[in-house]
Amino acid sequence: MPKSSVFSSKALHGFKQFVRSEASRFLALALFLVAVFYIIPICISVYMSFTPLRNWNIDRYAGIFVGLENYYRFFYLLANDPSVKSVFLTTAVFVALTLAVNVLGGLSLAIATFFVNERAAGGLQLLWLLPRMTPIAVYSLIWYYFFHPSSIGTINGILYKLGLISKPIDIGQGIIPWGAWAIIVFVNGLVGVSYGMIVFTSAINNIPKELVIAARVDGASNWDITRKILVPMLRWHILYVTTWQLLSLLTTYDHLFLLVKWGLVNRDYGTTWSLYIYNTAFLTGLQDQGLAAAAGVILVIVSSILGFITLKLMGFDKLIKPPRGDL
Amino acid sequence: MPGMRDVEVRSRASEALILLVILAVSLPLITGYSLLILSGFSKSMVTNLDPSSFYPTLMNWILLLQGRTAQFAGIRVNIWGIVANTLVVALGVSALVTLVGSLTGYAVSRMNFAGRKHIMMLLILLHAFPGSVLVVGVAFIYRMFMPPLEYIRFYSFFYVIVARAAIEIPMATWLMKGFFDMIPWEIEWSAIVDGASRFRVWWNVLLPMIKPGVAAVMLFGFLAGWMDLIYVRTFLVDRTLATFIEANAEAEYAYLPLVAVAGTLYLLPTIIFFIAAQRLIFTISVSGIKG
Repeated sequence: MPKSSVFSSKALHGFKQFVRSEASRFLALALFLVAVFYIIPICISVYMSFTPLRNWNIDRYAGIFVGLENYYRFFYLLANDPSVKSVFLTTAVFVALTLAVNVLGGLSLAIATFFVNERAAGGLQLLWLLPRMTPIAVYSLIWYYFFHPSSIGTINGILYKLGLISKPIDIGQGIIPWGAWAIIVFVNGLVGVSYGMIVFTSAINNIPKELVIAARVDGASNWDITRKILVPMLRWHILYVTTWQLLSLLTTYDHLFLLVKWGLVNRDYGTTWSLYIYNTAFLTGLQDQGLAAAAGVILVIVSSILGFITLKLMGFDKLIKPPRGDL
Repeated sequence: MPGMRDVEVRSRASEALILLVILAVSLPLITGYSLLILSGFSKSMVTNLDPSSFYPTLMNWILLLQGRTAQFAGIRVNIWGIVANTLVVALGVSALVTLVGSLTGYAVSRMNFAGRKHIMMLLILLHAFPGSVLVVGVAFIYRMFMPPLEYIRFYSFFYVIVARAAIEIPMATWLMKGFFDMIPWEIEWSAIVDGASRFRVWWNVLLPMIKPGVAAVMLFGFLAGWMDLIYVRTFLVDRTLATFIEANAEAEYAYLPLVAVAGTLYLLPTIIFFIAAQRLIFTISVSGIKG
């Protein structure tokens, strides 16, 4: 018997076993939802990338097969259209800078709150969780006013009071590209910091206290403890947070959507790959779902490769039992 | 010695200095939220930090709750309807996420079945899947099953709730698994020996023991549905607070303090939950968040 058929009959057997098991009844609803809202949409996206689907006119376009045309178009735009080029440049800069803010910010917050009393530490950590729990529209609104290009903007108000400017400046549209990049990195950075903060805090709480006590007795300062004990003990967690956040940032778009739509940041330099896919598929005037699907499929391939590397790097068993204690 | 963290020899002065630095770094965050809320209580926006533009008034709140989006002009919106729509989505997502999460979490935590490892791996992978790609395929299905015109509103509510809840399943499962893991096996064992089915054990014995866990998943599902923008704006025919703010923030006729009030109203559940359930929120965040 050839090897492959042994494998497939084994898989089939395993599947039958699963269907007959009691667990399958507990999992049925979840598996149904996962199938309808994850697996099938992914397959449909791949299919759509081979059709000329436009304006959601499914009846007219979804049956036509155009081969790799959308992919050619995508790479052609990438090579020739400045506004698509800028999207990918923006994605690279955005992911790199926000990742640095997230990891270093989370690490600094976790370590800093380690050195203060528990009440204050808890309060500060809650404050930094707020961005993640805030409705996305309100969160965008807050920073819309904060960076507003008119005299009601907070930044403009401060700069004006300091006498640094005489009339309001438009950071997101006027200072291209770094003004737009600064805003999107800032706004997303604040959301992402809490993830690292939480993982690092619970990891720090699991470090044997004898180490810190011994170091204190020997006269170590906060800085010594940070450098010689905390950071080395967190090495694995830093790697974990970095790769996880890298994946998340590559697929982030919801916290950017309104900033671009409201015109707070320049469209070309405020749009990331993920947002480009969403806007191409849904925004009035674009509505090119074939192209969006092709750009999406390529993003899926890139993030799958990254995800696979993450799993390899971490070891799957460690992910099943994440390295954080129970908080 | 309650909660031994750093040792007690740390100096008060350095602690104060660290606190000061963190507060300074947090200043934009504090400023942004405070100015939004404060602007809602003022005749003109105070976001420029100019105290002279602060004229205290409750007028914005009255206007908003009457559904008037401009100070004088006659545009009227049914703001209570909008709040109700937002609530329906949030409660629906919360209920579905709690049901599915507690079923799946139980199976993954307590049962050994063929493919257990694969399902857990699938849940992790799904958690990292690009949302913008997903939503394109989900929209295709939405349009394929479009019902006759008179049912579209109902259909869009149903679809938003189910589709939005589906995204939260991986996280809810991990969260519930964590709570089930904490219950000693003996309790369940004795119930099974007494002849109870796994469903009875799940419903009558285990779920009552992890009420905080169920509450956490409910709260987390509620907030997920409440704060959503993308699914709501893509699929829902009716307006929620998110799409209301989206449409009004930069509109020509917008009276800005009124939008600030709408934002504050929208922020209220978050603030209430933060005050009421600090520990619970921390548990939720620890158990699984996507950054």
